[in-house]
Amino acid sequence: MSSRDVILQRIRSGLTNAVAAGFGDLREPPVPEVWPRTNPESATLVSQFRTEMESLSGESILCPTMADARWQLAQLMQTAPWPRLGSLDRPLTRELTADLPVDRVDWVTSDWTPPQIEQLPAGLITADALLADTGSCVVHCSKATERLMCYLPPVCVVVARVNQLAEHLPAAWGPISKTCAAKDSQGEIVLITGPSRTADIEKILILGVHGPKRLVVLLVG
Amino acid sequence: MLDSTSHLNGAPFLKDENQGLYEPSPRFKNLAKVCEYSSKSNTAVAAAIPYFQEWREAAHQIKKYSLANLDKLLVQFECNMKARGVEVLFAQDAAEANRLVLEIAREHNVKSVVKAKSMVTEEMELNHVLEGAGIRAIETDLGEYIVQLAKQRPIHLVTPAMHFSADEVGQLFHEKLGEPYSAEHAALTAIARKRLRAEYLAADMGVSGCNFAVADSGTVVVVENEGNAGLSTSTPPVHVVLVGIEKIIPKIDYLPLFLNLLGRSGTGQKLTTYTHLIHGPAPGKKLYVIFLDNGRTKVLQDPHAWESLFCIRCGACLNACPVYRRVGGWSYGWVYPGPIGSVLTPHLVGLEKAGKLPFASSLCGACGEVCPVKIDLPHQLVHLRHRAVNEPSPMNSTFERLQWKLWAWAMGGPRRYGLAMWAVRIGVRMAKFLPWHPDKLGAWTRGRELPKVPSHSFRSWWQERSSKKGKS
Repeated sequence: MSSRDVILQRIRSGLTNAVAAGFGDLREPPVPEVWPRTNPESATLVSQFRTEMESLSGESILCPTMADARWQLAQLMQTAPWPRLGSLDRPLTRELTADLPVDRVDWVTSDWTPPQIEQLPAGLITADALLADTGSCVVHCSKATERLMCYLPPVCVVVARVNQLAEHLPAAWGPISKTCAAKDSQGEIVLITGPSRTADIEKILILGVHGPKRLVVLLVG
Repeated sequence: MLDSTSHLNGAPFLKDENQGLYEPSPRFKNLAKVCEYSSKSNTAVAAAIPYFQEWREAAHQIKKYSLANLDKLLVQFECNMKARGVEVLFAQDAAEANRLVLEIAREHNVKSVVKAKSMVTEEMELNHVLEGAGIRAIETDLGEYIVQLAKQRPIHLVTPAMHFSADEVGQLFHEKLGEPYSAEHAALTAIARKRLRAEYLAADMGVSGCNFAVADSGTVVVVENEGNAGLSTSTPPVHVVLVGIEKIIPKIDYLPLFLNLLGRSGTGQKLTTYTHLIHGPAPGKKLYVIFLDNGRTKVLQDPHAWESLFCIRCGACLNACPVYRRVGGWSYGWVYPGPIGSVLTPHLVGLEKAGKLPFASSLCGACGEVCPVKIDLPHQLVHLRHRAVNEPSPMNSTFERLQWKLWAWAMGGPRRYGLAMWAVRIGVRMAKFLPWHPDKLGAWTRGRELPKVPSHSFRSWWQERSSKKGKS
């Protein structure tokens, strides 16, 4: 008998005792609401998201138009300074980097290796959703390079549109759970809530222990 | 798996005077301070949420339902993951799980492994096993990295090196890594970042634990703050997940509840910095999930102990426990410290080895009040105490039974009681002339002065007083 079958048999034997003791026959609990839905206005969501980001030592920049976002990105690159930027190839990142000289953007494709991605001064990715109450970015990464772009470059720049803001995790959960349950899903969905951090030594908070030291969210719209 | 560093031979709190109950080193004073800080933070975060008690009750019911359907949920998870090309394996014990990991490592010609924090791999002593097979294994969580360099066990479920001061970490990095000494937190963290970056890029395999295994979607959920789990699971070509069978939850839609509870109870955060929902291997990568029993199915045989398998490893009960704050994690003798360790360890390694642990509690109830999945830890401890004195265990040894028989005899009548108390008074008077602190009793006598014995017992004083009153 395989270990799988032995374990399942042991579980079933334990459950038989539990049923006899009144523990086993349970109905499936309902899905709890967790947080009530209040459907706040867009301006409230933006304000809440930015406040949370600030409290997490992340940065958020509100850009009313895509032209503003392009200018903000150019400013970020100039101030840092980043001689170039690694970016995932998405419609939104193409739109955002349209004004940048060709040699200042590296389009990170699936053949990039981890050491190559690690050398990037900053990585540009997109978010599938933003969570206002926690200041989180929901990012679906189906390929290995997409995952690495979230963790390896020292700065992670996320671009998203204001209409992608949800008030909290339960409000954004529908598409997340659908992606998780899809038979052909690959990779991961990662919720990024601030830059990498640790308080392992004397509970003193330090940013950038392994992942990005800086997280910048460009909110467009 | 019990190794040379485990000490569950019936006196877990007294193995080493530096780790013992009565002579804590200065680092344990640091531990008490940090625990108190964490506990206050957890309590404040929970108090700010009007629904927190409803969340706890809902999580409790979901965990109960999960265990009642564990066999079906494991099979459902396995089917969903296999459909995406994930290999799902089962191990009855730590030795088998280690063998499976080594087989995977050999198949992929693995020379080095980066590990994200996982208590299950601590149960397996995986690092030692990998090193024994000539495979370099590096812990990547900063706290675990410090503890690994110091050749110690984690002292806490969430913050494994909380007993280290920055000065001690600086000295450790200087001695073990040859880095210039610094006691600056940012400088120490930068050293770990530089060292571990190289390890991620060179590793052939990443190993992680799993906070929740979701059956209906086939999802492995890993939460963390540092980004080391993200790097360990995405940089190397092979990722192995080690997970206890009790980590199954039935539906992905239950997950927001557990994520909200775990972040708040573990570190006082609304959500941890990184929450990974892993559905399958990215193209070109391999993903393995190994389910470990290692004594968990024994718990299912005792329905009154089920709740101990609800634990989501947040560490809130440790922070709240006055005993843990005083003695630290190593005193619990094995992998799981604190109140949850006193409950889990006897189940997983056997009452005959760890039957004393349930008695390492004042039963003040603080642990039960803070548990985010509402495990009734005080009653779990009492239940185990009952079992420990009725089943083979150090609390049911011949010596222990003899002591209680003597006690029962002495309490059985006034003459016998008087005789026993007379013997005690003589014993205490004589004890101060002993030139040594005898064995386990020494842990008590070294830190204390014996009380002065009054010239009369209470009973004789009472009799004298009564006779005087009668005369007057």
